Amino acid sequence: MINLTIDGTPVQVEKGQTILEAANSAGIRIPTMCWMKKMRPIGSCRMCVVEVEGLGKPVSACDTMAAADMKVTTQSELLHGMRRDALSLMLVGHPLDCPVCDKGGECVLQDMVWEFGVTEQPTPGAQPTRDIERYISPMIKQWADRCVLCARCVTACKEVKGIGCIEIKGNGFDSYIGPVEGVDCISCGECLSVCPVGALTDGIRDEKARIWQSKRITTTCGYCGVGCQFDLNVLNDKIIRVTTTDHDKLPNFGSLCIKGRFAWEFVDHPDRLTKPLVRRDGELRETTWEDALHTAAKKIKEVRDAHGPDSIAGFASARCTNEDNYVFQKFFRAVIGTNNVDHCARL
Amino acid sequence: MAETKNMIVNMGPQHPATHGVLRLVLELDGETVVDVIPHLGHLHRGIEKLAEHKTYHQALTLTDRMDYTGALINNLGYCLAVEKLLDIEGEIPDRANVLRVCLSELQRIAGHLLWLATHALDIGAMTMLFYCFREREIIHDLLEEVTGARLTPSFIRVGGLADDINDKFITKTTDFIKKFPSRVDEYELMLTHNPIWRKRINGIGIISQEDCISYAITGPVLRAAGVSYDIRKAQPYSGYESYDFEIPTGTTGDVYDRYTVRLTEMRQSTRIVEQALDRLADGPVMLDDFRYTPPPKEDVYNSIEGLIRHFKLMSAGYKAPEGEVYMSVEGTKGELGYYLVSDGSENPYRFRVRPPCFINLQALKDMSVGHMVADVIAVIGSLDIVLGEIDR
Repeated sequence: MINLTIDGTPVQVEKGQTILEAANSAGIRIPTMCWMKKMRPIGSCRMCVVEVEGLGKPVSACDTMAAADMKVTTQSELLHGMRRDALSLMLVGHPLDCPVCDKGGECVLQDMVWEFGVTEQPTPGAQPTRDIERYISPMIKQWADRCVLCARCVTACKEVKGIGCIEIKGNGFDSYIGPVEGVDCISCGECLSVCPVGALTDGIRDEKARIWQSKRITTTCGYCGVGCQFDLNVLNDKIIRVTTTDHDKLPNFGSLCIKGRFAWEFVDHPDRLTKPLVRRDGELRETTWEDALHTAAKKIKEVRDAHGPDSIAGFASARCTNEDNYVFQKFFRAVIGTNNVDHCARL
Repeated sequence: MAETKNMIVNMGPQHPATHGVLRLVLELDGETVVDVIPHLGHLHRGIEKLAEHKTYHQALTLTDRMDYTGALINNLGYCLAVEKLLDIEGEIPDRANVLRVCLSELQRIAGHLLWLATHALDIGAMTMLFYCFREREIIHDLLEEVTGARLTPSFIRVGGLADDINDKFITKTTDFIKKFPSRVDEYELMLTHNPIWRKRINGIGIISQEDCISYAITGPVLRAAGVSYDIRKAQPYSGYESYDFEIPTGTTGDVYDRYTVRLTEMRQSTRIVEQALDRLADGPVMLDDFRYTPPPKEDVYNSIEGLIRHFKLMSAGYKAPEGEVYMSVEGTKGELGYYLVSDGSENPYRFRVRPPCFINLQALKDMSVGHMVADVIAVIGSLDIVLGEIDR
């Protein structure tokens, strides 16, 4: 354990922790934009700069290790100015898209600019030349001119997903996030879930809503047994997208696969079965749940009584939650009395 | 002797004498008033509660809809309260303060003109309505030109004004205040020495200084009883201490005194407007503080910094520091106070209005008992109540 002081507060942390982690553990907020707990520090945004006594110039808190007897200052005029400068540079050539940007209202850049009071551009006139809008995959829209080049997406693709299909290309003003030759994107959407601005958005539905207009309902993904947690964004009782905001929580740490993030349109597909059907006179007919369950129970009982429990088999679905499947097999073993239970085991 | 019984009569809510929707239950002995019970709430919209669910910026529009005859003064009181809460009260630009005073006084004149028109109409002097509305129209045209709205301008904003005035406003207002005193002379000619008018209002609805103070009555009703109390002098705001004007007072506190006090107030307001226009210097009309005030429109349309500031202010709204403030202004009807409690969020935790009309109305019974039914109408008129503010 090492002892250091942050803003006059004594903090004790284990060796190997960064200054930022030490501050977080003591409840001291250091503003960050590119840093994420689940990834290694990127150190691109320069928002987390702090002053350390004895060091000549401020250092970034996210990738500087805490050391014994360090004296750290997180708020000062100098740091404030550096953060403002960093934000100003990010805003160079930023398009006036807030009113039409999906991220408006939940944008880290917006929040920071307002918090630090960046009101004018000290270097006007400089304009980067980037593509306006294109799809990097059928699911993911890229708005290159909104990008602040924080490299969160690049890092997440490499470290979290282990794919590394995107990288920062070009130099200076002409830098942009582009594809890596020969590595295919799997459209998992990890990049757009970590994007702090609206540079990567999903291209599934045209219906969009501001964060305060839609409801966010945390639920479990219905695809496989991992039980990933995500938020359904619901507008007027219709899903408009899936987001993950909690990047610190089990089991998925805010990551999803292509199915969880993008394949939810089946929910309100017109072909979907929404009422129970019972086959009568060789034809499936709509009925009530009461009638359907009653019919099923009656038939199962008849078969079991006539031919014994092992004449029945249960076939569950991998798309049910673990809890549902547990109850299902319990029902077959304990109520019906057979071990004939299986499930599709694939998606 | 035949046995007699007091009669209970409903006055309102649709009676022409009620400006708004007030219901009075009168107990009469013949034509003499024995008891008056006002039944309030017909116009209740829950403004105070609604405001708790709006940002400080959004809640402004609700204040217009209380005393709609003095909307700009309502705006001003609210903005001053929020500015005090945000601790930016000393930073409001001079031009904004001068224009706030100028607009407030024009609004006061318009409010008093509406009162005179309807008060006289209630008592039977129908012609007055046309004379008063002639001048009130001019003021409303002026306000419309500057603010874009006649009744609900929401023009005075936290930090200053929504927009600057134009030169036309200055010339038109100068023109108006030159003409207006002679117009007040006209009203006086028609009413002050009119024996019918004097018979209807002299010695009616008297209330003493002591009663006024114990009821917490404010505004022209209090001043008519002889108490020289006006927030503009007692606790000056927006630079009122630097203007030269007098506070008219009455002697007996009857309907006639309230009439003369308001007429004189209109003349005094004209003087204030004149002084305000004289000292109007160039400068910004809005404080430039990225935390609380929106940037100029050209910034919003042309720079990302301005756009973000506008976006955040208009959507999320600013957080006010924890605390509570009370700020009052001299409304057209009396002391209009705002009591705001902040829990540190974007919405007021409590939004309480001290409504002058509601409090002044409480004295209606004391003023009316013993008089004739017709005098109740004169007394209500002289109280100058607006139900939009009483019920809120």
